[in-house]
Amino acid sequence: MGEGNTNLKMTLIKTERATKIFKEDSEPVFALSSVSIQIEAGEFTALSGPSGSGKTTLLNLIGCLDRPSEGKIYFDGNEVSKLSQHQLTEFRLRKIGFIFQDYNLIPAFTAIENIEYVLWLQGTGAAERRKKAVEVCDRFGIKKLINRRPFEMSRGQQQRVAVARAIVHKPKIVLGDELTANLDHKTGTELMEFLKELNREENITFLYATHDPAVLKQANRIITLEDGKLTGEKVGANVSL
Amino acid sequence: MLLLKLAFLNIGRNPRRSIITVLAVGVGLAALIFLWGFSDGTNEQMRENVIRLLTGHVQIHAPGYQNSLSPELTLQNREGLIQKLTALPNLVAFSERVKCEALIGTSEKSRGVILSGIDPEREIKVTDLKKYIKAGEFLTNDANREIVIGDRLAKKVDLKVGDKAVVMTQAMDGTLSGFSYYIKGIFHTGSQTLDEVSAYISLNSAQELLALDHETHEIVIRLARRKAIPAFLKELKTSLPSGAYDVSTWDEIVPEVEQWAKWSEAIIRTILFAVMIVIGVSIMNTVLMSVFERTRELGVMMAIGTSPGRVIRLILLETFILELFGIALGLVLGYLVTIYFAHAGIAFPELERAFSRSYMSTVTYTRVEPVHVIQSIITLFVLTSFIGLYPAWKAGRMEPIKAIYRS
Repeated sequence: MGEGNTNLKMTLIKTERATKIFKEDSEPVFALSSVSIQIEAGEFTALSGPSGSGKTTLLNLIGCLDRPSEGKIYFDGNEVSKLSQHQLTEFRLRKIGFIFQDYNLIPAFTAIENIEYVLWLQGTGAAERRKKAVEVCDRFGIKKLINRRPFEMSRGQQQRVAVARAIVHKPKIVLGDELTANLDHKTGTELMEFLKELNREENITFLYATHDPAVLKQANRIITLEDGKLTGEKVGANVSL
Repeated sequence: MLLLKLAFLNIGRNPRRSIITVLAVGVGLAALIFLWGFSDGTNEQMRENVIRLLTGHVQIHAPGYQNSLSPELTLQNREGLIQKLTALPNLVAFSERVKCEALIGTSEKSRGVILSGIDPEREIKVTDLKKYIKAGEFLTNDANREIVIGDRLAKKVDLKVGDKAVVMTQAMDGTLSGFSYYIKGIFHTGSQTLDEVSAYISLNSAQELLALDHETHEIVIRLARRKAIPAFLKELKTSLPSGAYDVSTWDEIVPEVEQWAKWSEAIIRTILFAVMIVIGVSIMNTVLMSVFERTRELGVMMAIGTSPGRVIRLILLETFILELFGIALGLVLGYLVTIYFAHAGIAFPELERAFSRSYMSTVTYTRVEPVHVIQSIITLFVLTSFIGLYPAWKAGRMEPIKAIYRS
């Protein structure tokens, strides 16, 4: 295999001229225009840009929630651009963790049931599920929240539980969209520091979209988008290349 | 199991809406069970009224007698026939009758009647006529020149217990025959056919009136229950010489009762279908609302790896749970109400006149027929599940991104 393929082996995510076109009133809208990036394993990378820049669209393509109109997406060596819906669902279940801005948790479940849910989807047995979920709760310092339902927790606590759910099945990457948008500054900063700690100690890859400068500062690498196009990249002092 | 648990928990998230939906299903089903109970009770009473008052379960006649009512058409080899009958299983009782059209009257008034000569001791084991005597007494075996008539007839001819009436008819030999009879008793059954047109004398008196020599026209048979009729008929027809007798069941003699029953069942089924559509739409609306309110939540679930199939199963489970609770409630409620009225009855005294032309009673006792209850439940479950497929399908077809980022 050639040099390009060697790059693929070290690279977790690769997009080649990824484009997403939406049709609004018969006029095509380029939400993403020919974006090519690579994300290496272990990175703590932020997607930055103003509203409508294409951050969420790119995140959705990388997260296998959507397919590009043109171009290709490679994930862990597999081209995911042309997978069926069923295959994409399976891919997300096994390889990706998600943290959303809102509505992360299933309201009917307790914290521990929310964390166990992904393991249940994967077919893990009840005893094993509970063991892993408790371990993660212990690691995250949220053991006291185990039997609480989301409405019985603060937003910050809910986001911690959401992070626990996102990593309990040891995904290749965790994707986040405006993670701290609904949190106060202090709670948001604490959350980001916590994620950075996970990245450092457990080598979990994080890719998140934000327009908050305080949150951007935490990233080791910042990819900037504007009007659907890649406009820049900054690498911080802590990134591992 | 986690999916089932989630379905239960989701239903509990809006208890008011869930309770209303369960009540809609439950009350709807209870109403249907009661409606069936009322219809089945009415139909059953009609059948039993005909059997107990008029026809018995089975009748035997000479060939052609039913069409002509000709007094010459008596039962041949009567004793041999009775011997064969008594050997058959399921037979509870039988009674012989002599029948003719006659005129009953006084010097001032007269009416045409269907006159039946009966063996009183045997007759009371086959029909319940004795229970409907409201004045005087029923006939006894040693009755001679005594007659029992209906209250409507008594009123029309102006007769009361103890009065004398003349009964005239054409005898077997073609001569006009007539005798005086004392009014022994007056009955009231509620049926116009009986109360206005029927009169009863003893078998001996009738044979004397018609110049019959120990001959009879009709054998009325009572079995343990209607369900025993097919087996009894099979045995009877095997034991009788082919073509020697006409054997008729009660519903062949009075076919309008079963026709009425079929008609009322068709009405019930139409109402049932309409009620179930309404219940199904109610469930669908509840589940659709629930899906709509949880769009983002379902979107996140699909994003983290819940397949569309699992989402559909979740929504269907929620639908099934609501249906099952509703069905359980409806079953208990419907059963209790129907059983109550099965004992207490529902009275329609003001409808006596209307009912007198049929065989309906003015007090209806409802009846639980398991087959109709089961049919209602199955139809309800299948129809509402089918209607509930739509919200489940809609939920499964959601695109996670559109669901998550719905504003």
